[in-house]
Amino acid sequence: MTREEIFEEVTEIFRDVFDDDELEIVDSTNAEDIEDWDSLEHINLVINMEKKFGLKFNLKEVGELKNVGEMVDLILRMKTNE
Amino acid sequence: MNNFTYEELELGHTESFSVTITQEMQDSFRAMTGDVNPLHSSEEFAKAKGYDGVVVFGMLTSSLYSTLAGVYLPGEKSLVHSCEAKFMKPVYIGDTLTVEGKVDEKNDTYGLIRIKAVIRNQNGVKVSKASLQVGLI
Repeated sequence: MTREEIFEEVTEIFRDVFDDDELEIVDSTNAEDIEDWDSLEHINLVINMEKKFGLKFNLKEVGELKNVGEMVDLILRMKTNE
Repeated sequence: MNNFTYEELELGHTESFSVTITQEMQDSFRAMTGDVNPLHSSEEFAKAKGYDGVVVFGMLTSSLYSTLAGVYLPGEKSLVHSCEAKFMKPVYIGDTLTVEGKVDEKNDTYGLIRIKAVIRNQNGVKVSKASLQVGLI
């Protein structure tokens, strides 16, 4: 998968989790930009990404992510190394 | 009270319990929530609306999902993250409800489970269903 394809899928996951079909995200988007992005929704985001991309994240690695772009890069690295 | 760990719970693990809904429960729920809607207190009103009698609060029935997670599945280690419930059929005072939950998903990253739950009355009719996300603390 290309980074663009992953970003598109991640955007769909965000829209689904936050129940907002018009939600737009960019690389720098983080929890401060989305009012409903609390710790529980963060868990839901990660779970949905694991399902969508068939991955199992490391909790420490996920906890260190600062924004959407870093999440997309992590997914890209893991998919590339499969 | 059960005290399952994340590792002990396997997909498909099922727990259940039964409860008879009493007038006292209905009154306590009304007092706690302030929901004085007559559907839940007036026999006459409820029957005029086509029900067999006073309808038990859907949220009272759903509160049994809290018991399911907190006492049975997983029990003591339970921390309920979310509960999406549907009220499918009316419940009446005196109904005996059986609550059943099954581990439908496990997430190793966070050590949490998703429970598919159903509540049936004494006639086997499904009156509610829910999906719960539960962490283990």
